[in-house]
Amino acid sequence: MRLTRLVAMCNLVLFSCSLLAQQDRIVDIGNAGEPGTLDPHLYFTNLEEHILKDLFMGLTTMDPQGAIIPGCAENWHVSSDQLTWTFQLRKDLTWSDGEPLTAKDFVFGFQRLLNPETAAPLSFFLYSLKNAKEVNAGTLPIDQLGVTATDNHTLVVELTQPFPFLPERLLYPVAYPVPRHALELYGKDWIKPQNWVSNGAFVLNEWRPHEFVELARNSKFYEAKNVRVKTVRYYPIVEAVTGYNRYLADELDVISNYPSGVHETLLADRAQEVRNAPLQSIMYLVFNTQVEPFDDVRVRKALALAIDRELIVERILGLGEIASTTLSPPVVDHHVPVVYDHERNLDAARLLLAEAGVADSPLNIELRHISDDETKDVYVAISSMWREIGVDTSLHHSTLADHFGNLNQGNFEVAQAGWFGENNPEHYIELLWSKIGAANYGNYESVAFDNLLEAAKQEGDVETRVKILNQAETIALREYPVIPLYVVITRNLVNPELQGWFRNGRNLHPARYFYWN
Amino acid sequence: MSRYLLNRLLFMVVTLVAVVTVVFFLLRLTPGGPFDGERALPPEIEQNLKAKYNLDAPLHVQYFDYVLDLLRGDLGPSFRQKDFSVNELILNGLPISLTIGALALSFALCTGSLLGVIAAQHQNSAWDNGIRLFSTACLALPPLVSGPLLVLLVAVTLKWLPAGGISTYKHYVLPALALSIPYIAAFARLSRSSYLDVVKEPFVLTAKAKGLSSLQISTRHVLRSASTPVLSFIGPAAAALLAGSMIVEEIFSVPGLGRFFVQGAIARDYTLVLGAVLVYAFLILLFNLIIDLIYPLLDPRVKDRLANAA
Repeated sequence: MRLTRLVAMCNLVLFSCSLLAQQDRIVDIGNAGEPGTLDPHLYFTNLEEHILKDLFMGLTTMDPQGAIIPGCAENWHVSSDQLTWTFQLRKDLTWSDGEPLTAKDFVFGFQRLLNPETAAPLSFFLYSLKNAKEVNAGTLPIDQLGVTATDNHTLVVELTQPFPFLPERLLYPVAYPVPRHALELYGKDWIKPQNWVSNGAFVLNEWRPHEFVELARNSKFYEAKNVRVKTVRYYPIVEAVTGYNRYLADELDVISNYPSGVHETLLADRAQEVRNAPLQSIMYLVFNTQVEPFDDVRVRKALALAIDRELIVERILGLGEIASTTLSPPVVDHHVPVVYDHERNLDAARLLLAEAGVADSPLNIELRHISDDETKDVYVAISSMWREIGVDTSLHHSTLADHFGNLNQGNFEVAQAGWFGENNPEHYIELLWSKIGAANYGNYESVAFDNLLEAAKQEGDVETRVKILNQAETIALREYPVIPLYVVITRNLVNPELQGWFRNGRNLHPARYFYWN
Repeated sequence: MSRYLLNRLLFMVVTLVAVVTVVFFLLRLTPGGPFDGERALPPEIEQNLKAKYNLDAPLHVQYFDYVLDLLRGDLGPSFRQKDFSVNELILNGLPISLTIGALALSFALCTGSLLGVIAAQHQNSAWDNGIRLFSTACLALPPLVSGPLLVLLVAVTLKWLPAGGISTYKHYVLPALALSIPYIAAFARLSRSSYLDVVKEPFVLTAKAKGLSSLQISTRHVLRSASTPVLSFIGPAAAALLAGSMIVEEIFSVPGLGRFFVQGAIARDYTLVLGAVLVYAFLILLFNLIIDLIYPLLDPRVKDRLANAA
């Protein structure tokens, strides 16, 4: 009996040891490019966001499925006028060097973000904070920013107008705290691995530019006992084919953009490893409403009615993309469908062109899109759909930077555009707001739309706010400033031995939930 | 000789100043800027960024500030890789690019020259035809083609070597091989024709008349003279290998200077692109200078010409 028990205990010890050893295995992740910085306030693209979410922890955070959960804040409540948010911080927060992390660190973080000298490119993400824009423009002193620490564990955030989606907005790295003591000690070199201090599940261990960024588990993280993998590496993989080859060669455990051409092969050979999911996103065509003939709603509507979305998503893209007739993606929370004419109707389209007086002399359209092998066929197909109503299209493609350079300057007729990020309709609908700036690429202007959008922004109750937003979107879509096309699908491959990686609409996967099987 | 060297060094400095000036202004003429994204930034943020990176100063002031920093050896901060200075990035990437380039050049030089000499010694034989066929095939395989083929065959299918990255010595093999293939052909063709030319020279006939063995003639007389055109090709080959390394570095995810340059150019990282171009220009000038200095040691005729010119 004793011998049996001894053998069982030995087995248990050996099993535990093998499990522990397994967690030492590095998780190798392909990131779509080299991060520009690991300073959360200077970040500019989601290449950085993928890594920063493991290094820092904001007031809120996300679970493996992408839902918003408390982060450094245990809980929060909003005042009755919806303008004051009070966050209660956890009592056990420390920086990775053991220094206590308090509400004052968050105040310092928000003030640093909006200090004009920091020159944070995405500081406008937090312009909903009281006086944020004025502080960022240098017209008000930093201490006028609407963020205060009433004690070490209570943070009060004042807003200019109600913003019920604040907990989601606080997920962005711009809202992360930074270690004041390290910044004061090391200056701009605080970001170097040897000086690194952060408050997330991992710390920066090594950064070899254009080779990899290596993160190591932070033993001072408040849930360190639940973080199982010890080391994570992010590799910058610009070319999808390179990432795919390195995945096949067992050099990467996760890639997020396999080439769409291998999709069928993957489904046949590695179905378990394909982890695609709809991204909270919308791809659409935008008209430059300031130039003829696209200033005429009949022309825009005619071109919209010639589009066959089902053909685009099923026959051309074919990875599970979701056709969308609204600018607010049908996959986000609080999405409400919009009632307007969007069914393909070539006769109606031809009639509209005739009414607009462009049927007799065939319309020549310049359609701009990004040079991308994965999606170029979509625009070829659209040009042939428009040919069916007698419209000639010349396609112009350019790099992403040049494409959006042209859009931002209004240098286009019709162009591909896309937006992704948040799990609420407002993030997308407000793209048509005349006051949003260049993101309203086509310079669409509608007083009725603007009034409704601004009314929605005064509303703190989510349901009421979404209802008004839907009315605004209905007004806009009936004027066809954009043609919504589809929701993008992510193209992830994940090593089947890696657990804790879940599909989610943000396509952000915190490494703190990973473990090896 | 020292006057010649001084002239060459002066020429190098003038060329580098011209390169910096042209590239500096060309970069500013290209559409887009380092802070452009999918969404144009609010004006106050754009102003903050311009102030931080001295982009709000007049262009000529920016230029002189850059040149002054350059004279102090400071290539400035990277606009898009904000956590590194351009000096740090180049110090990281250059040794990797140089190692791959040196490996590729050595391999191409040794293999190509050997094949060329074998082909020349067996002119019009099956060996000669086989080597010429092989050279033509190599020329038709630029790194853009051979790189992905090597990855698929050696890394993905056979799993003998890594598909990308640069952590261990094994990571250098495939990029260096892909880079060297067209140059194997170039060196083989050059050494073959050069060898065949020298064999016809009178001094080889004299050596034969003296009764030297063919091995002695080949090693003591022919190879030495025949190596001059081959060695003179090292300069342009090294420069072309450096330029070609950009493609190889992208294919194999190698964090070398070429990759920094390409990614920097896409992101309009002015300072990084300027720094990389400057280093490339300096290296190319340096390679050519070294080759010009080695010439006289190899070929007495060049030495005589230089002496006469002086």
